[in-house]
Amino acid sequence: MRKRLTIATVVACLFFLTGAVNTAQSQTKAPYKIGFIVPLTGYLSWLGEYMKKGAEVKVEMINKAGGVNGRPVELVTYDDQSSPEAATRHAQRLISRDGVVAIMGTGTAVVSGAVSSVANKSRVPAVIQSGYALTEKETFTFNNAHPTDFAISRPMLYFQKKGIKQVALLMPIGPLGELGSGIARKHAPTYKITIVGEEKFDVKAADVTAQLAKLRALNPQAIMAFTTGEPAALLARNMAQMGMNIPLVVSHGNATPGFLKLVAQTPTMVIVPSGKIMAIETLADNDPVKKVVAEFSRAYQAKYGEPANYYSGQQADAVALIAEALRVTKSEDPVKLRDALENIKNFAGCNGVYNMSPTDHQGTRTEDMILLTIKDGKWALLD
Amino acid sequence: MSELSTLVQFFFSGLTSGSVYALIAVSLVIVYKVSLLICFAQGEFFVIGALTMVTLTSKGLPMPLAFVLSVLISTVIGALVERILIRPIRNSSVGNLIVMTIAISLALRGSALLVWGKESHILQPFSAGKPLHVLGATLQPQVLWIIGITVVVLFVIWFFFERTTLGVAMRACAENRLGASLMGISTQKAALLSWAWGSGIGALAGMAVAPLLFMQYSSGLMPMVKGFIAMSIGGLASIAGAVVAGYLLGIVEAYTIGLISSQFADTIVFTLLIIVLIFKPSGLFGATRSREV
Repeated sequence: MRKRLTIATVVACLFFLTGAVNTAQSQTKAPYKIGFIVPLTGYLSWLGEYMKKGAEVKVEMINKAGGVNGRPVELVTYDDQSSPEAATRHAQRLISRDGVVAIMGTGTAVVSGAVSSVANKSRVPAVIQSGYALTEKETFTFNNAHPTDFAISRPMLYFQKKGIKQVALLMPIGPLGELGSGIARKHAPTYKITIVGEEKFDVKAADVTAQLAKLRALNPQAIMAFTTGEPAALLARNMAQMGMNIPLVVSHGNATPGFLKLVAQTPTMVIVPSGKIMAIETLADNDPVKKVVAEFSRAYQAKYGEPANYYSGQQADAVALIAEALRVTKSEDPVKLRDALENIKNFAGCNGVYNMSPTDHQGTRTEDMILLTIKDGKWALLD
Repeated sequence: MSELSTLVQFFFSGLTSGSVYALIAVSLVIVYKVSLLICFAQGEFFVIGALTMVTLTSKGLPMPLAFVLSVLISTVIGALVERILIRPIRNSSVGNLIVMTIAISLALRGSALLVWGKESHILQPFSAGKPLHVLGATLQPQVLWIIGITVVVLFVIWFFFERTTLGVAMRACAENRLGASLMGISTQKAALLSWAWGSGIGALAGMAVAPLLFMQYSSGLMPMVKGFIAMSIGGLASIAGAVVAGYLLGIVEAYTIGLISSQFADTIVFTLLIIVLIFKPSGLFGATRSREV
């Protein structure tokens, strides 16, 4: 008898997460509703948690101070499950059913790109936070995250100062790695840096010493890897194993307590580009963002018993930017609100000083970023 | 750095990944051998074992005690899952049972999320110490632990299934359930034991390889996929085959990355799988079972 095992399994899991989570409202006047799409489940859930906490603290701060134009701000929050499909569905729902004045969120270029697409089709302002590169056609989208370029040009600026000229790239297989590689090659000449070699790795790999051995043969003075979380920590660990005493630059997605825990014991010098909120105590008193950052951090610490970080601060900025635009225009008209966002100038936030314009929907500069490294198991300012 | 040290490093890289794949593959094969079922929840036992040990060691338990306790806890969970969820549908088709294991996998993953949260955890290596240096290449000592544990596991499995009455009875159940039950063997007990074995070894694999990786509630997916490929190449029911295929997979991957490109690693691995399935469908070590009596 011939036995044969045929395995044909189709797993289709559809979780329809419905039901908006409304934050408590204290004032009686009709609130300004801000749509908030956030990855509370799925692979970006670690990020979503910070985003949600940051937004909620900022909304609370604004409402405690009397709201905007005497009206409270209210978040209408939906979980995008880290997927562009769910994000699209929720963005449509926020506009057509919930009647929000603007939308903000969410993590990663792909998912927030989906939100941007819906917002522009419906001509409703959106403030996203990701590495998504805005196109000229997306006139209603703002991206208050530091542009992805900064995360690479900022460490290169540091390398130039330190006389580091030979850099090797170790990029994850996939679009993120392609993006990182392209940006690095674009900016390298500006900072007199030679890219001596490039390798790719699978983010799910258990070991990357093979790639590191190839790169080591090229004698780089630093390695740049545009990757986040476990794979970034694995690179650091494998470099330590091989005794490679050169700095490892990873992406700006790593300024989290979780990542710190993963690499705290590893001797490799890990460089993480980030925002000033991660090194409040080192900010000069005349730093334009110091006051905003300190107040937000205090409120955040009081509410959640943990320090605020890059992502919670970034999300707080999105709330603040929308609130500022509402305050100036006093109107819920989407075009007027968009124009008001475009005209925001010298507005201090956690990510730096925003100077928006019709051609710049991101607003920050390379110097608004800082570089972090790890000393004695804690984040420390490198540059 | 010489050319040679780079080549040796490729080998060590392959050995490291391969040791992970091999041990998972063994835990998959053991369930398959006794119940002819591919258990898709195996990756979750891998995670539960590793994270239980993380919790126990962080509570101050000595490493060996935490190790034994974690295996026991996972074994009990595996046995309970079989008793409560698999036994009621044991007479359904293989398809149903496989879907059930997928459901169990998702449920266990969800529970792990509730218990251990979303963040990644670190398990300290079993022995402290510097990486080993051979010809300018380096290897983490933990890889030697994994190889050692694999050898012990292989011996224990061999001893149990070849030398003990209970083990032979369990094999008999797999060969012919009706025949075995007519000989007075409890097929229910055999199925329960096979799950206990599978989940125990799955947990053991997780604990052994965790110090090389980072562990979080969903870390079971990659090892499950790679372990399954190793199992298929090795011939589904062959434990030795799974081990050889696991290391082969890791080493082929590492040399592909080193000598060709990391972007081809998956392509080469799946080409290997396809070639084996076409030319030797029963796997490298599988017995040819197409003879008609």
